[in-house]
Amino acid sequence: MVRWLGAVCPPVDGSAAHVDHVLLSTVDILAADLVCTHADHTGAVARTVMTARLNHEPTAAVLAELADRLGLPAVWVAGPPEGARCVRFPGQEALTGVHSAAEIVAASAIDEVVGIGVAVDSPIDTRGFLRPTFTEGRLVLLVEQAAGGVLRPVEIAAPHQCCGGH
Amino acid sequence: MGAGHDHHHHELEPVDGSWRDEADDRPLSVARRRFLTGMGVAAAATAVGAGTAAADQTPRNQWNSGDRWYAGDHHIHTKYSPDAQYEVATQVANARRYGLDWVVITDHGGVAHQKFSIDQVAPDIEAARRQFRDTLVYQGLEWNIPGAEHATVFLPPGRHTVDILRAFEAAYDGGVLSTPVAQGGLGKIQRATSADGEPYALAALRYLDAQVFAGRAEIALMLANHPARRGVDSPHELRGWRDTAPDVAIGMEGAPGHQASAITEANGGRGDGRGFYEASPGVDSFPGYAPTAIENPYRTYGGFDWMTAKVGGVWDSLLAEGRPWTITATSDSHQVFGDTFAPGTQDHATTGSRGAPIDSGVVQQYGDYWPGQYSSTLVGARSRSYVDIMRGLRAGKVVAVHGRLIDGLELRVRARSDGDTRGVSIGGRTFVRRGTDVEVTIEVTLASRANFGGFVPKLAKVDLIAGAVTGPSADRDAMTAPGTAVVETFAVPAGARGKIRFTHVFPRVDRAFYLRLRGSDGKQLDAAGNPLMDVPGDDDPWSDLWFYANPVFVDVI
Repeated sequence: MVRWLGAVCPPVDGSAAHVDHVLLSTVDILAADLVCTHADHTGAVARTVMTARLNHEPTAAVLAELADRLGLPAVWVAGPPEGARCVRFPGQEALTGVHSAAEIVAASAIDEVVGIGVAVDSPIDTRGFLRPTFTEGRLVLLVEQAAGGVLRPVEIAAPHQCCGGH
Repeated sequence: MGAGHDHHHHELEPVDGSWRDEADDRPLSVARRRFLTGMGVAAAATAVGAGTAAADQTPRNQWNSGDRWYAGDHHIHTKYSPDAQYEVATQVANARRYGLDWVVITDHGGVAHQKFSIDQVAPDIEAARRQFRDTLVYQGLEWNIPGAEHATVFLPPGRHTVDILRAFEAAYDGGVLSTPVAQGGLGKIQRATSADGEPYALAALRYLDAQVFAGRAEIALMLANHPARRGVDSPHELRGWRDTAPDVAIGMEGAPGHQASAITEANGGRGDGRGFYEASPGVDSFPGYAPTAIENPYRTYGGFDWMTAKVGGVWDSLLAEGRPWTITATSDSHQVFGDTFAPGTQDHATTGSRGAPIDSGVVQQYGDYWPGQYSSTLVGARSRSYVDIMRGLRAGKVVAVHGRLIDGLELRVRARSDGDTRGVSIGGRTFVRRGTDVEVTIEVTLASRANFGGFVPKLAKVDLIAGAVTGPSADRDAMTAPGTAVVETFAVPAGARGKIRFTHVFPRVDRAFYLRLRGSDGKQLDAAGNPLMDVPGDDDPWSDLWFYANPVFVDVI
């Protein structure tokens, strides 16, 4: 039975790639095959919320350990909200190089590759970093034109940080 | 051009653009100043009332006022920023070399800058003023707007200027506010960009307004920098700043700096996003800015920020409220493309300076231009004085230009059948009778000399853009103006030289509207004539040149 576990992520400084890495380390005991993050704007200050898809029932000990790591307990949720960003998904490990959109869809949980104002008939340079987003229940990878006749995902691992990212 | 906006202050200014008597600090004098200034503020407040039955129907920025254009840059870093490197004098010397009349030194706000840098940069700026007497050098700050992006804040030189900047930064910089007390900050907000900072941003702008009100500064201005870069300047924040202190928070960068950053690595560039616009939504980003299959607000379009470049986008949604919001173009110069200098070795966190830059002897991979080398903000002003240039900015007499695409621009908007033979110009506001024809005359002085890319740029077209003024938006996060569109495109004939003139008539106008201009070299356009999204790592900024002029409002009475 597939269930989704949700939790508020402890604040972590650094690039998105680093924050993702910390999150995945934190939830590694869950053995979740799909892990997402999204910004929760319901409070006075936005916070990052994690949702993890589980294909099994975690033990009480695992949940207790997770609560310990997160600083507060995780809860069962319906799933990631619209626009949630997928940090881990099935097939991700195989997609580290330059691939066609068809290859990406065939080899992973990504349902569709969408170009921003550009057709997706050029190869996609993943640079080993893919963060598709949930759009109307489907996992969509947004790509854009890049140098050298390739496309690249709109989210990159290390965008230029001005002034230490203040 | 005209000085209409300043009208309300004229009677308060007996001599030389200044009514403030530096030598007279008697309490009576202060009270008198407050009284007089209060009158000015009240009059200005009615003037910005979106033209809705405003009592004051004085045209603003009247055409042919004798103003002149002064090129400048309000966003420049030095070795007093942790991520930049140059001496103040180096930046000013280059600005002068590249034709600028005025510059604002804007190092990043933060704990170290507030504690250590201000006292070092102030004497450097004074020395640069003495060394380069024909260049106006303002002291400013790149403010971390609490809850949002960065902004230029600056004041004209004055006895209290440094004190005001210091106090402002200590109380209201997002970096200072978010840094824990143990590390020298205030520890009052979670992050520099988190929403708990938003009230501090408004308080900060009120503080600056109060300094002017109290006579401690002649004028103080704030312009939001690289507004869409990280998606953290939500529409309601932009509106909040503008409406809280309309005489201070006057606009935003229409085009960010770092215009060399997308030059390919093979050509010595960094191969990054143009303007270093390459982020994606973060936790504090406005959800409405999320990229879609149609557009990516986190990228530049033709070198301009998406908020400005998109017809009917965020900028137009602000203008459609009937209130000015002025756009500019700056260098954001930190480290210059093709330069061999590297930062000094001093620890910024503990000294407030990186020390003198060091010539590495090797060309570094940098993404910026010198002030004026690529980007110019042209300001119409009565004189080349610190206060007049700032008044020109506040009055919206501003054109943002890349690569010296044009040498000059005159815009005249008038209703001749209404008896108005003079009309108003860029940034202005005119009042016409319902049903009258409004005539627009555009005169462009085409580029006659090589720009700093080494060629004479050729203007291909000018777009006249117009939209209805629909009044204050009920939705503070509105980000579109569906009624704004290109109403006419004027092609510049091949081989045209000197001045070229275009006209357009809005017949029998029956409701308030605004109009603005943009022009392009025509090299990178989509099917509708709009700029293309810039390609990260593959964008030659010299073959995609634009200018944008600020709006004229036409109120129907």
